Amino acid sequence: MLKMTGINKVFRTDTVQTHALRDFSLHVEEGEFVTITGPSGCGKTTFLNLAGLLETYTSGQYLLDGEDVSSLSDAQRARLRNQKIGFIFQSFNLMPDLNLFDNVDVPLRYRGVSAKIRKERIEQALAAVGLANRQRHLPSQLSGGQQQRVAIARALVGEPRFLLADEPTGNLDSNTAEGVMELLEQINQQGTTIIMVTHDPSLAARSQRNVHILDGQIKSDDRNSKARAA
Amino acid sequence: MFMYYVRLAALSYRRNPILSSLMVLAVAVGVGAYMVVFTLNYVLGGDPIPHKSDQLYHIQFDYGDPDVADFEPPPQLAYRDAITMLEQSSDFRRAATSKFVAILEPPGNDLRPFFVNGRGSSADFFAMFDVPFQYGNGWDRAADDGQRQVVVLSQELNERLFGGADSVGETINMDGHVFTVIGVLDYWEPTPKFYDVNNGPIDTGEEAYIPWSLIAGQQLRRSGNTNCWAAPENSSFEAFLNAECAWVQFWVELPDSQSFDRYQTMVDNYVAEQRDFGRMQFPVEKRLYDVNEWMVYNEVQPDETRILSALAAMLLAVCLLNTVGLLLSKFLGKSGEIGVRQALGAGKGSLFIQHTIEAGFIGALGGVLGLGVAAIGLEGIKILLGPEAPTQWITINVTVIATTILLAIASTIIAGLYPIWRACNINPAIHLKTQ
Amino acid sequence: MELGPITRALLRNKLGVILIALQIAFTMTVIVNAVYIINDRAANMARPSGLDEANTFHISSIGYGNSFNESVVVDEDLNMIRQLPGVIDATVTNAIPVSGSGSSSGYGLEPGRRDTLVPAAIYRVDEHVLEAMDLDLVAGVPFTAQQIVRRTPTEERQVTETILSQAMAESLYPDDWRQALNQNIYGPDGSALRVVGIVDRLQAPWPTFTYVENSMLTPEITLDNSTTYLVRTEPGYRDELMVEVEERLATAPHQRILRNNQSLEYTRTESYRIDSLMTTILKVVIGTLMFITAMGIVGLAVFSINRRRKQIGTRRALGATRFSILRYFMTENLIISAAGVTLGAIMTVGFNMFLVQTFNMPRIDWFYAPIGMLALLLLGQLAVIGPARSAAAITPALATRSV
Ligand SMILES: Nc1ncnc2c1ncn2[C@@H]1O[C@H](COP(=O)(O)OP(=O)(O)OP(=O)(O)O)[C@@H](O)[C@H]1O
Ligand SMILES: [Mg+2]
Repeated sequence: MLKMTGINKVFRTDTVQTHALRDFSLHVEEGEFVTITGPSGCGKTTFLNLAGLLETYTSGQYLLDGEDVSSLSDAQRARLRNQKIGFIFQSFNLMPDLNLFDNVDVPLRYRGVSAKIRKERIEQALAAVGLANRQRHLPSQLSGGQQQRVAIARALVGEPRFLLADEPTGNLDSNTAEGVMELLEQINQQGTTIIMVTHDPSLAARSQRNVHILDGQIKSDDRNSKARAA
Repeated sequence: MFMYYVRLAALSYRRNPILSSLMVLAVAVGVGAYMVVFTLNYVLGGDPIPHKSDQLYHIQFDYGDPDVADFEPPPQLAYRDAITMLEQSSDFRRAATSKFVAILEPPGNDLRPFFVNGRGSSADFFAMFDVPFQYGNGWDRAADDGQRQVVVLSQELNERLFGGADSVGETINMDGHVFTVIGVLDYWEPTPKFYDVNNGPIDTGEEAYIPWSLIAGQQLRRSGNTNCWAAPENSSFEAFLNAECAWVQFWVELPDSQSFDRYQTMVDNYVAEQRDFGRMQFPVEKRLYDVNEWMVYNEVQPDETRILSALAAMLLAVCLLNTVGLLLSKFLGKSGEIGVRQALGAGKGSLFIQHTIEAGFIGALGGVLGLGVAAIGLEGIKILLGPEAPTQWITINVTVIATTILLAIASTIIAGLYPIWRACNINPAIHLKTQ
Repeated sequence: MELGPITRALLRNKLGVILIALQIAFTMTVIVNAVYIINDRAANMARPSGLDEANTFHISSIGYGNSFNESVVVDEDLNMIRQLPGVIDATVTNAIPVSGSGSSSGYGLEPGRRDTLVPAAIYRVDEHVLEAMDLDLVAGVPFTAQQIVRRTPTEERQVTETILSQAMAESLYPDDWRQALNQNIYGPDGSALRVVGIVDRLQAPWPTFTYVENSMLTPEITLDNSTTYLVRTEPGYRDELMVEVEERLATAPHQRILRNNQSLEYTRTESYRIDSLMTTILKVVIGTLMFITAMGIVGLAVFSINRRRKQIGTRRALGATRFSILRYFMTENLIISAAGVTLGAIMTVGFNMFLVQTFNMPRIDWFYAPIGMLALLLLGQLAVIGPARSAAAITPALATRSV
């Protein structure tokens, strides 16, 4: 599904060069639930950005579904993001001016789905995260947990095969975080591949596989046979 | 505290230099353009002789042509009526006046003869219109009656003929007649030329003044607008003088309401009497117009400046709407800062003052720049008006400067009211929640 | 398209929308009406006078002193001028077309009927007028030298012939202007003039005169010591002849002064000075206003994009292409502008009605408003294209940054 070999990512500013990832190789199979951990600044988000085609890498090779993404145009990358990948962000990133329905609608709009099907899917997605009756509300009228559930609905509505989450529970209390985690596990069981960055060791422990990054390199890659999902 | 807020305003300007400069520019353009039109209107629509404009009256008689539909009574007097009015008004200052043209042969052989535009007027003309003298004086009524060949020169003509020296007592030759100089005017160029709006209200003043009786005495050639509604009996000058041809301006000075009433009665009686003779059959709304009424009645203010006023007002509106939008953006963009200030104890009142000063700061900058815009605009208009039109009336005076800056500050603050109100009412809690 | 969500998002920020829309509406009102005034004046200025304006000039001679005999001097001057190489012809005239000063009178078909008089400008000229003014005789014959009457102002008029402009003939005979030929027409004093010819076009001297196309030529020279010569030259000779004619007139041994040696083009410029001033001012106003409005749109767009950077990054992360971000902001601007120009169309017509009522201007043509609407929609799109492109350039990676 995802295959990175020898990826380097260097950020250049006027004065400093930061090696965010060096000689980074990782292989994720279809249907896996991988958590990524590591200290702040080690390159977790950078990895996620590369995996999600939000950013380009400096050198190395990245195959997504066997396809080399380095030669893709910006528009092609956008289409891949839209069709194969779903994102969940730590700070939700909902559009404050749009109601929940329109927020979840955003990825579908970029896909050109017919109005009728869009409506069905959005309602389904919102129902799946338990917010069916709040379609016309604005994000600011929701709690943080609810907002993150909307973001998850938005990530799911396009039925991606690959879900990337950057500390989805980082802004939530443990109870709410637990709810979100259960939701993600459920999604994973339905066949969606998930890569999730987290700082929470207990969440990491629940996953099938935990990758620990240090200083832009993989420090350990543990497969957890006791994981719940297994 | 005030200076602190001004410093905050300056800092805030520097934080969003492009947005802030856009606002300054918008205010400058809007206010500058408005001031250009304001200046034109201020002069053209203003009171040219404020301290006595309500004492000087022009007569409008009930002239008309029974056969011609929509005949507008000419705003001047026929010779015979002017003569009667001169006689009947002798208790008051009054003046019959009209233009003439002549060839002036300068004394000595240095200058070639040249053409002058002159004005014939009754003796009271100078006192009535506060005409300033550099040397000598005007003439008296005896000179009118005696058709004495005396002349008052404009400052410019005196400069040309006598190098600006006191020329009282010198003689000049106009159309072959010898005139004695008895006075020289100081600079006098009222705009609009309110005492004669019939021959171009924005026109240069005349160069030589002589007793009006000399024009009727045919010493010099009459000129200026002439409007006949019945053909003279024959081509002689006498027939012309007796004809229904209006070409004389007639002014009277009525210092109080008592004299006004008396004069009104006299004029009304005269019209009634003339009506019995078959003249003056077309009633007019009003027979005595004071200076300002006369200028409105004769539509001295050009259509152009009135159209431009409306357009300039809309231009200002656009610029202010622009400013409202940009200020709103600017203030809401500072929500974070405002939230922090509130958390640190800033009350609504102080936030209000801070942002009012910030808006005023932008307005003041816009006003100063707007002065530049106005100056450029007026200079451009002067150039475009060409060499023949008098343009020295187009100047930026203290009133315009003060009005520009005040208008700029006031309008920016008014434009800023809503943005300021929004800035003072930002809820820091909401702001923090979404972050 | 995503009209629905864009509109709903806009409605959450009503004031911002109203501000820009109002601004566009005012801008459109001013611009459309200004363009219309400019066109109206330009049409006035473009009306031909009937003369060969590019190759014509005029000069006035005013004699003085007892020895000045105008009748002799006129013949002498005209002979001299007409013989100069490059001169096509010259005439005396009491008034210069488009100059703004001249004399007018009314003429009608029946003597004594003052109510049916048609106003017309009177040009007192000699038999060379058709060549000198470059007028085309469309009916009848020119004046002959014998018809020219000389008189002092106080002598009775004796002219009996006239040549009309076609417009004047049409005013008298609306059905068939040719009928005017050889008819007598009567002035306010009952005197008769026989129409010997009709020329296709000759304007009165006053550009704002209601009957500006109504003119009459009469064969007379008024001996009042003041004479104006109108001279038509071969192309390219005008400027040097202006100098030469003035020099020769000045050196002739007569007591006189020479004034107003002007090309007809200069005379026209002076006459239409206010119109061209107005036109220039309006053009500046239009330019300024478009600039201010465009800058306003840019300013607000830049601001709202900066505020929404994270949102835009998120959209990009969710699969929006650069083009769809560009399209989003272009569409947003289109919606606001559409509201603005709709209101603008109403205000434009309203302001025009005010102009029509207050200043007696003609009504605006129907196509002005739609063209204005399109122009402002285009202006809005052009203004927002820069900010929208910078929005499209925002990296999707911004979505994962927390600030
Ligand atoms: N756009 C950028 N320009 C320059 N340096 C960057 C940029 N983005 C990230 N970095 C640097 O790359 C390194 C990795 O950053 P990254 O955001 O991936 O860390 P992280 O592991 O997600 O940390 P955290 O847990 O705090 O979110 C850091 O040193 C960071 O400073
Ligand atoms: Mg991170």
